[in-house]
Amino acid sequence: MKSQPTLIALLLGALAALPANAEFQHQPRAAGIETYGYTWNSPDQDMNRALAHKANARKGEAAYKVCKGCHKPDASGQADADYPQLAGQHASVIVKQMMDIRAGRRDNPRMYPFSGDWIVSAEEIADIAAYLNQLPIPSSNGKGGGANLALGKTLYDKDCASCHGKNGEGDGKKFHPMVAGQHYSYLKRESRESRDQGRRNANPDMVKVLKPYTDADIEAVSDYLSRLAPPKK
Amino acid sequence: MFHAAPKILAALALLGGGLTLAGAALAESPAAKAAATVCAGCHGADGNSVATTFPKLAGQQKIYLLREMKDYKSGKRASEIMTPLMANLSEDDMTELAAWYAKQKPARGVAGDPALLALGKNLYLKGNSKTDVPSCDSCHEEDGVGYTKFPRVAGQHVDYVLEQFRLYAAGKRTNGARVMQAVAERMSEQETRAVAEYMASMP
Repeated sequence: MKSQPTLIALLLGALAALPANAEFQHQPRAAGIETYGYTWNSPDQDMNRALAHKANARKGEAAYKVCKGCHKPDASGQADADYPQLAGQHASVIVKQMMDIRAGRRDNPRMYPFSGDWIVSAEEIADIAAYLNQLPIPSSNGKGGGANLALGKTLYDKDCASCHGKNGEGDGKKFHPMVAGQHYSYLKRESRESRDQGRRNANPDMVKVLKPYTDADIEAVSDYLSRLAPPKK
Repeated sequence: MFHAAPKILAALALLGGGLTLAGAALAESPAAKAAATVCAGCHGADGNSVATTFPKLAGQQKIYLLREMKDYKSGKRASEIMTPLMANLSEDDMTELAAWYAKQKPARGVAGDPALLALGKNLYLKGNSKTDVPSCDSCHEEDGVGYTKFPRVAGQHVDYVLEQFRLYAAGKRTNGARVMQAVAERMSEQETRAVAEYMASMP
């Protein structure tokens, strides 16, 4: 009995010794695909607030400042750092992914400090998404080696096009991202992560499709998509 | 540090007394008067501090200044010097002070180590994608003048900037954008110094 207060004091001491940063720099962890009963894109208060907001692209341009340091002024991202290309992406997709990172359904500890409500409100996220959506899509994205494009097309048309569109244009209404013209490195990483359940906010249908894919299959599809011309804005 | 505060306050009062005459011409408003009497001791008569550990406030973003003063008052930004000084200021006083400092002309900074400027410029404009450090210009602007809540960094003292980076990285400056804590944590000592030197060198 006597040792209990000491133990508590020790524990408290250990907590106090943590850098103040730790408590809010650390991304929370919410239930994802690894959890039994996981529902993809289940209702989320933060997301509903953003989606209900009448988005203003001009305000979004100002709020985008904090993203720009990595995703670049033209929102083309950085292929060699796996920062995705965001220009022209569906607004709903940007909103959903941001909210999944905020809530801890999509693990991204590196981006987390730049995505919280201390720097962008739900409404500003909607504004940013509207701004990004109307940007011209750059064609200078990172591409793969070009060796297995035929295989990539076959697999894409068979397995992916029904959701992501014949030309990789995605579907904003269904929160399915545009994948055409995305960086090869990013597509490859996210597809592998989805297959291996590391992308915890992934759509279970997508995980199922990817399950039998080899790394080479994923590379072929990613390469094909990186070369697919995105829809004209 | 704690016991030093009264001494600094006393020094402030003395300095302030000496500056009242010089500041009288400037004193068109209560804010200007306060700036000339109390704040000037550390931040300089025109907001261009001489001591490099005290930040220059001349030309600083109004919104940023106001937020920092409020955070000092509430203790959200910790400072044994600034918190007591803010205690009796109303939000109107602070707004006026912020506007006054924002209007002052910033003096040119002094970069101590020109060898680091190239690295600093590269980081400032491009960041470091290997360690997920964003470029500084996205928030603080290419010319370092800042934008609303993002402070002006051009011409700021190297010592002050380095101290802020240390506080951010150690989790001791937690007000405002948590973004800076992440940035500071990810930067090496050399990168931090290089960026500080580059900021100081900006006109």
